[in-house]
Amino acid sequence: MSVIKKSNIKFLVGLFCLFTTTVSFAEVAVIVNKANNATIADSDISRVFLGKVKAFSNGDKITVINLKFKKPARNEFEDKVLNKSASQVKAYWSKLMFSGKGKPPKEFASDKDVLAFVAANQGAIGYIEAASADGSVKVIKTF
Amino acid sequence: MKKLTQSLLFSSMLVTYSAHADIAFNGFASIVGGVTTSNDEQLDGYDNTLSFDEGSLFAIQASSELGEGLSVTAQILSRGENDWKPDFEWAYVAYEANDNLRLLAGRQRIPFYMYSDFLDVSYAYPWISPPAGVYSTVINTFDGIGAIYSTNLDEFDVVVHGIYGNSDGEISVDTELTGKADAIFDNITGASMAVTRDWLTLRAAYFQADSTIGLLRLQPLVDGWSAAGFNDIADNISVFEDKSEFVEFGFQAIFDTVQVIGEYTELTTANTTVGDEDSYYIMVSKQFDTILASITYAVDEDHADAITGGVPTGVSPQLDALIALTNGATDAQEVDVTSITLGLRWDFHDSAALKFEYIDYSDDLNSDNDTGLLKAALVTVF
Repeated sequence: MSVIKKSNIKFLVGLFCLFTTTVSFAEVAVIVNKANNATIADSDISRVFLGKVKAFSNGDKITVINLKFKKPARNEFEDKVLNKSASQVKAYWSKLMFSGKGKPPKEFASDKDVLAFVAANQGAIGYIEAASADGSVKVIKTF
Repeated sequence: MKKLTQSLLFSSMLVTYSAHADIAFNGFASIVGGVTTSNDEQLDGYDNTLSFDEGSLFAIQASSELGEGLSVTAQILSRGENDWKPDFEWAYVAYEANDNLRLLAGRQRIPFYMYSDFLDVSYAYPWISPPAGVYSTVINTFDGIGAIYSTNLDEFDVVVHGIYGNSDGEISVDTELTGKADAIFDNITGASMAVTRDWLTLRAAYFQADSTIGLLRLQPLVDGWSAAGFNDIADNISVFEDKSEFVEFGFQAIFDTVQVIGEYTELTTANTTVGDEDSYYIMVSKQFDTILASITYAVDEDHADAITGGVPTGVSPQLDALIALTNGATDAQEVDVTSITLGLRWDFHDSAALKFEYIDYSDDLNSDNDTGLLKAALVTVF
């Protein structure tokens, strides 16, 4: 019995390593609408995604789009750009949600859905796997 | 029949309403078990039999955007220690005047502390509940109006939160001095301000209120001093529309996986027998993947000055007895407690965490009260 358990653990650890390795090679692209001519300083990107900056430099209202939990690009983005673990991000939005100070961004299931929304909404900003980016949106930064 | 019409009317209202606006439901819960390590000491409501109701809570929040910047939110919270009786913790209408200014009317939190806004959302902070010495005001919510102004000055994010209102509910304070007593706080006025830049947040808050606390247990003293002709002292024993003042300073510093948080608070109620409270804590935590380990050092010091200074002793036995009893009441409020909390938080799931805590209390006035408290909690947001 314990032999089976051990091998299970080994398998899981192996799987986990494989997973993290794959993830850390994926680049994440921050995208906005093609018509968006605002400039965003690199240091502002995390503040935008944490809801602290609510308007672009041109005055347009920002609509932040997130990927669903457990999407590799989301882990990557939260780690590299927001500098927070997944549970820290969740805790951050819980604080705002239960004190009436803010709502977490809308979540989409796939890069394709994020692309489509950003392409159709001028004030939108989101992130996707860099490889998924196409000409329908403007990439402002890759991490 | 009337009832039926009413309920029909109500449900048709609901139907019409939901056609216009979606209601979002969210919630959070903590299931906390705790037990003290010594045989006869009670601490924060815990004793030496494992208890699961003290500290456990369940909350549901419903909110709806009405458009044009208006939204309504209600949060209903049940606490195990109140026999799970549900209470409206928040119930307000908010108006987003612009990107910087948000106005709130209704029942809401008094932003006393760094964690006031999400005091019960254990998922949002390292501890099972925030340090009890600092987080010790008898009220946390009020009914009235609030304004939250947030802005960005270069790389500084600034949030100013001002409030005005009352707390006239059935709040009872239960201390050694008062026994169970009803408390009313009027004209609660004040503001907090927090400034964040990158890894550092600094916070300060000031509030004042007119406090009235029904100190029935001390009424004989009030009567005694009035009869003896010392109306000043009689006034100073009772807490009737006396001004309470609250001051807080806090900081939060994040260095990659290490976090340092500290808060200092001072609470005074002038011209009363209610003691002044000075409290602070400092917490250091480190994140190891899904485990957060923390250590918190906290100090809670209360002191009430004797109010019988101007009264001559030895004049009459009755007067001497009054002096002794009154000094006893102020002396009894002396508190000097130091605690060290060791905590672990394990984020084993995307919206739930397990927490373990050991709190070691030492009473610097009476070491017989020293005790330890062991707690475990399952906390979640949904």
